[in-house]
Amino acid sequence: MNIAVCVKRIPKTAEADIFIEKDGKDIKKDNLVFALNDWDGYAVREAVLLKEKYEGEVIVLTIGPEESKEVLTRCLAMGADRAVRIEAPSSSDGHLIAKILAQATKGQSFDLILTGVQAEDDGWGQVGVALAQLLGLPHASIVTHIEVENGKAKVRRELEGGIEELLEVKLPAVLTIQTGINEPKYVSLSAILDAEDKETKEVGLEEIGFTSKAPLDATIDQVSFPPTGKMAEILKGTPEEVVGQLTEIIKKKKG
Amino acid sequence: MKIDPKTFIHDYQLNICIQCGTCTGGCPVKFRSPLNMRRLVRETHLTDNFSSISKRAELWACTTCSTCSLRCPSGVKNVELIMGIRNFLANKGEVPSTIRDALENTLLQGNPWGRFRDRRADWAQDLGVKIFGEETSETLFYVGCAPSYDPRVQSVSTSLVRIFQKAGVDFAILGKKESCCGNEIRRMGEQALFKKLAKDNTALFKKLGVKRIITISPHCYNAFKNEYPDLNIPVQHYTQVLVDLIEAGKLHLSKELGISVTYHDPCFLGKQNKVFDEPRKILNSIPGCDFIEMERSRERSLCCEGGGGRMWAEGGTEGKRNGEIRIREAVALAAKTLATACPFCLLTFEDSVKTSGLAEQIVVKDIAELVMEALEVQ
Ligand code: SF4
Ligand code: SF4
Repeated sequence: MNIAVCVKRIPKTAEADIFIEKDGKDIKKDNLVFALNDWDGYAVREAVLLKEKYEGEVIVLTIGPEESKEVLTRCLAMGADRAVRIEAPSSSDGHLIAKILAQATKGQSFDLILTGVQAEDDGWGQVGVALAQLLGLPHASIVTHIEVENGKAKVRRELEGGIEELLEVKLPAVLTIQTGINEPKYVSLSAILDAEDKETKEVGLEEIGFTSKAPLDATIDQVSFPPTGKMAEILKGTPEEVVGQLTEIIKKKKG
Repeated sequence: MKIDPKTFIHDYQLNICIQCGTCTGGCPVKFRSPLNMRRLVRETHLTDNFSSISKRAELWACTTCSTCSLRCPSGVKNVELIMGIRNFLANKGEVPSTIRDALENTLLQGNPWGRFRDRRADWAQDLGVKIFGEETSETLFYVGCAPSYDPRVQSVSTSLVRIFQKAGVDFAILGKKESCCGNEIRRMGEQALFKKLAKDNTALFKKLGVKRIITISPHCYNAFKNEYPDLNIPVQHYTQVLVDLIEAGKLHLSKELGISVTYHDPCFLGKQNKVFDEPRKILNSIPGCDFIEMERSRERSLCCEGGGGRMWAEGGTEGKRNGEIRIREAVALAAKTLATACPFCLLTFEDSVKTSGLAEQIVVKDIAELVMEALEVQ
């Protein structure tokens, strides 16, 4: 069973102070740390678990600049066999990313192509589904469980309201992986250091035969902070005072 | 890097164990978990199936307090054995999920809580502290992770800054450039990450021309003093610095505190590094501070369970926490303040005061906070 996993390097913003670039088109990233997109980590772990069960090979792909190599190294440390970095300028056009990935994967004998449901930074959630369409493959999104049997994958999908859908998908197929599908292992620094010696293939767009100059579907005009909500009230004072005010508010609302 | 558990026998001298049971007898978590050091030593020595031993959850209950190895009459390296097994597990990626997150956070943000690196020195913003890079000094005040980010422990950092300023100590902090010392990282089994932190920190300290290091946490003190292979820079715990300042007449502790206080020896300061007298000297120099010694003090101090990665572990132990036992012991002495000199002790005791319902009867303070109060700085 050969599995390709498409991954992305993203800036970690949860704890960070966020500032917007002067041109207003992006956030400032020079003070941020970067990591493997959370969803993609689950996808790589799932691919490695499937490989342990059904044998085969796990190949990880990313599109991005030189620095993206570090997330591929992490994937190799997690148990992926090979890594490919496609050199291309970063883009927030999910369709373009899917087109490049389709060009890079088409004609190869993958049984499964996995992506994360979405990326932590842009959060479009488009690439996996668009990729399936471009490759003419069946797909399932927001997948929380995979079992493979007789050329088919039985998958569970997460729907709204805690409902799950059970599907049978013919292989090869594209699945977008939801967090929580497995328990990610710790990736030790020594495993990462060992993985640095494994080869990462680096290719340009022309090398993979990607020549499309079609205009972008989406470009970012402006990013901004959400407007401060009117409902939010920030309590001020010492912890004791704040707790006092808070209990008063809760008492009132209850009554 | 693969670890071969067969080397443990030689590396940790398991074959000289006489099965006397001293290690298990003194272990602070022996009533709270199935961890049994005497058995672990013998089983690891004789087993054909190490991987089944390595799967035991209680391996994560050890606080690395070192009571076992310090008391072992044969010189078995008990704590190193625990860390060796954890290293074996970490390399295989098989660590509890909360430990996993702490280790990953440290690699990314330089602290186990994953707090934003750029906010590391926010606590010092209005204190007029020199920051290496902008200004320089021969003395590095190494703050550490908990004292940088935890609001309860920040008060210790702030107190020490004010005390040093008052005593005319010239010092600087690293600000955003400070990273975790790695002491707990090594104890959670990530030896490779510890080595990286030690190497990077050593290079940074040397580049900045640091001639002396002062730490808040006994854990950082331990790492710098005993476990950084190429540091060669003198390290002091802040209690040692304060005693020197008091004895040199540079700190005038003038305000009567009117309190009865007892002192809990942190494992990494006391039994592991033999800093017993300095904290007591400080407490005895504070006017109106009636010092009462605990029954289990100095080498016999009961571990608070904050070390060895336990700050990031979940579960693995049951029953009443040692922190609560310790609070009760202090209350039984009629002490109104339990003083300590370690961020982890401070945090575990703050929890225990609340869970034991004794918050009306006793408060937990760091020695630095008491000194600050006695200084009467406005
Ligand atoms: S104290 Fe030392 S000699 Fe005694 S049982 Fe423990 S390891 Fe063995
Ligand atoms: S280091 Fe402390 S907690 Fe760990 S086994 Fe030894 S005595 Fe017990």
